Amino acid sequence: MSRCVCTSIVASMLAIWTPGLDGQTVGRDAALSLEFEALKFDPPDPEIHEVLGVPVLFIEDHSVPLVSVFASFKGGYARLPRGEYAAGTALASLLRFGGTQTLAPDSVDKLLEYYSIQTLFGGGGESVVASLNTLTEHLPLALDLWAQLLKQPAFDDDQIDIWRGRAVEQIRRREDNVQGLAYSEFNRLMYGDHPVGWEMRMDDLSEEALNREQLLKVHSKILCRQQMTLGASGDVSWPDLEVQLRRALADWPHCEGELPPSPAPDIRREPGVFVIPRALEQSVIVMAHPTSVHMAEDPEYFAAQIGNSILGSGGFSSRLLARVRTEEGYAYSASSLWTMPRRYDGLVGAITQTRPESTVPAIRLMLETMTEMTEEPPSADEVRTGVDRLVNGFVFNFDTPGRIVSRRMYYLARELSPDWLERYLRGVQGVTPSAIHDVFRRNLRPEAMTILVVGDPERIGRESLASLGPVTIWEVEGGR
Amino acid sequence: MKQTLGIFAYVATAIVCATAALSAQEAPGERLPVARMQLDNGMRVLVLPRPSSPTVAFVVEYAIGGVHERLGTTGLAHLLEHLLFKGTTTIGTRDVDAELRLFEVMDAAHDTLLSARGARSRDTTEINRLTRLIATLEDSARAHVEANEFDRILTRAGARGLNATTGSESTLYFVELPSNRTELWFVLEADRMQNPVFREFYTERNVVAEERRMRIDTSPGGLLYESHLAAAFQVHPYGVPVVGYMADLETLSRRDVDEYYRRFYGPNNATVAIVGDVDVDQVRAWVEKYLAPIPRGDEPPPVLAREPDQRGERRIELLWDAEPSVRIGWKVPAALDEDAPALSILTSLLTGGRTSRLHRRLVDEDRIATGVFSSLGPGWRFPQLLTIDATPRAPHTTAELEEAIYDEVGRLAREGPSADELERVRNQVAASSIRRLQSNLGLAFQLTQSENLLGDWRETFRFSARVRAVTSDDVRRVAATHLIDSNRTVASLVRSGATP
Repeated sequence: MSRCVCTSIVASMLAIWTPGLDGQTVGRDAALSLEFEALKFDPPDPEIHEVLGVPVLFIEDHSVPLVSVFASFKGGYARLPRGEYAAGTALASLLRFGGTQTLAPDSVDKLLEYYSIQTLFGGGGESVVASLNTLTEHLPLALDLWAQLLKQPAFDDDQIDIWRGRAVEQIRRREDNVQGLAYSEFNRLMYGDHPVGWEMRMDDLSEEALNREQLLKVHSKILCRQQMTLGASGDVSWPDLEVQLRRALADWPHCEGELPPSPAPDIRREPGVFVIPRALEQSVIVMAHPTSVHMAEDPEYFAAQIGNSILGSGGFSSRLLARVRTEEGYAYSASSLWTMPRRYDGLVGAITQTRPESTVPAIRLMLETMTEMTEEPPSADEVRTGVDRLVNGFVFNFDTPGRIVSRRMYYLARELSPDWLERYLRGVQGVTPSAIHDVFRRNLRPEAMTILVVGDPERIGRESLASLGPVTIWEVEGGR
Repeated sequence: MKQTLGIFAYVATAIVCATAALSAQEAPGERLPVARMQLDNGMRVLVLPRPSSPTVAFVVEYAIGGVHERLGTTGLAHLLEHLLFKGTTTIGTRDVDAELRLFEVMDAAHDTLLSARGARSRDTTEINRLTRLIATLEDSARAHVEANEFDRILTRAGARGLNATTGSESTLYFVELPSNRTELWFVLEADRMQNPVFREFYTERNVVAEERRMRIDTSPGGLLYESHLAAAFQVHPYGVPVVGYMADLETLSRRDVDEYYRRFYGPNNATVAIVGDVDVDQVRAWVEKYLAPIPRGDEPPPVLAREPDQRGERRIELLWDAEPSVRIGWKVPAALDEDAPALSILTSLLTGGRTSRLHRRLVDEDRIATGVFSSLGPGWRFPQLLTIDATPRAPHTTAELEEAIYDEVGRLAREGPSADELERVRNQVAASSIRRLQSNLGLAFQLTQSENLLGDWRETFRFSARVRAVTSDDVRRVAATHLIDSNRTVASLVRSGATP
């Protein structure tokens, strides 16, 4: 009976397979024989102005009655001592929620929500960023309020307490998100007592460590004039915007000095297998080792970028996802990671999640896939896929004026050339299979991986885990 | 280009005037220059030219999702969505005949495996043998596969965001391309609409099982969501998880998928939106060439299940080694009901922003929660839930959160919102009507969903106008009518010492 049913399935598939259309109109041959006209596009280049010493990038765009304004400040918690970690981390949120010297937090909320002004305040180890999006008609009010939040924050005590309570709760709930737990503990394992490896602790959140004075101190170090870059796009002319920016920047404090650079990391270099034992239906796997490829206009960097897309950052076109997901069905996602900071060493490795019984086979498969990258150059076809994706999709870097402006601000903050994207495109177009092979041979050592598994050792198999190397139980900081 | 900018300028004018006479205004967006094409095969195609950037967003929406499933085959719609990226009779294969021959053998082995697993005396040796046989056969078939070729063709063309999503009542396939590649989309999508091959079936079924483990089985929030819906909907398929139950995922067959595909994936059940730098006449020609010849499919059966009236509060507890949280859901009417605009306003008043009632009470004033959110769902077509999710701040409990939430909901039901509160929400709705015009992909989603679920691409724009016309008394009435104790299902995540 089952064979009959299956036969009918095949027959029905064949029936579908004979389309009413001319067979050559659709399908592979039709797709590959299409020829495309060159894309005609002339993206706007941001105007570069300076207002009271602050660089401002600007694109005028009247397609919708909205204006966006962006601010970026060099400096974040990575350039502060550990004692200021909580204040550095809380800074962006409390700029938004802590009120201003003339408006209580509640009044700020009411104004922003009444006029439907969208703001975003964020940041990380190296920068603090903020943005504003408003209907054109509310721009003067919105820009004035946004500038007050950045320039004259009140850091209201109640809001500090609410932020502290939320941070305490996040610590308590860390283990509820096993993926997040794996990534943060892996950073701690690799970077130790370095800002990348820092995880918020209860003592960071004490009233002595996180209070209004600490926040004002950190604010004065980072949100000062010389560390600021501004950008704007939208439904406003430059003369109109300039008047409003002059008003906002008029009494902006100057920096008292330059922040020290973030410390050079001392990244773990010894291989090892670490396990965080948890009774889970799925293991989380993270593995990596340090590398010294830096973001720069350098053939090695471009080869690493395309090579990484072939290894595992290019989605379904990459080898890791093809092997781990498409061929073996071990995981929903699998990808490589290759961080290439400007100044310091980064990490190269891979991540995935799989059921306990597939944990070690998946790790072995990922290591094998990486080894192959060191042994043979990728095919010309693989390189072409990685390059074509960037070249043909280049236009998406210019699809909105806001995206163009914010990307140029990013380059400026990292001291990259304004035409970095064009240089990047030229660089990747020169990448060859042998250049990729060279960069992997020099920089990828699967045998040197530090491997972290969050999962159930019994179901994974203790012997199986031990076959990867001596296993160390990794204690979660403040864990259950 | 000038014409489009002119239209947007008109929309802007409509927004600025919106506060003057809310109910009398034509909704913003209704005058967008959308070309609607109704094909003889039943497919609807919506084209919106927006030449500001040389890119195009494509969305295909099928009116099919979790509500069209039955216990025993849950997860079918979602698995099918995965398999439709596996290619066709010409894409993704080196020898489709050889593949199909192997499908026949491995599917027979799978049928036998299911029989063996269901037998009164389980023969583990035989089960393992058949499992290995299917894996071996799939490996043999893989020798004829050009893996991920569909994805690779689009990736090389510079595609962005190629993906799909399956919901309770619709499945959407989407991608953005540089505008000079528009015809490529037609060639590939028309092929996928007619000639799919469900290759690498058993491996992909395992991938979906891993997706379930990731989203549900290792996620306390995911499992709470699933358990809450199952408790609230005991008859209607909204209670069935779209990702499927694990037991079903382990037994779904290629035959199930094939039958499901035939029933629900005809062009008469599809809506297409194309938004971006396109010429409408050229697109119309491609529609005629590639999409119009696709034969009409079966008429999908309607969903007739109706959830009976709830007769009393339902409560469930989910034990997990995790910190507590709570989901409270009230049964409310479908998105087409006349109460829907007031319910939409009600969710904004409760949790939409820092000045909302529940944020102020629970997070700012009482400081018993770290966050509180609300939503309407899980679908649009059928009576659904207004849900509030809240997370307590230790040492406070979910019981304290419930008490405060019911207190605030009761106050709204008695007194209604103030004029200031309503004005704030109206302004936000007006501004969001402008903001949604910024994204090709966002507009494409809106057009297909509006056309597919509500019958007219303009309907969601009109809904915004209806929302802005809601009065304080409307809000008070819907809160008093629907947010009552007996209509409520509460799911609490309770910490257990034991591990799952």
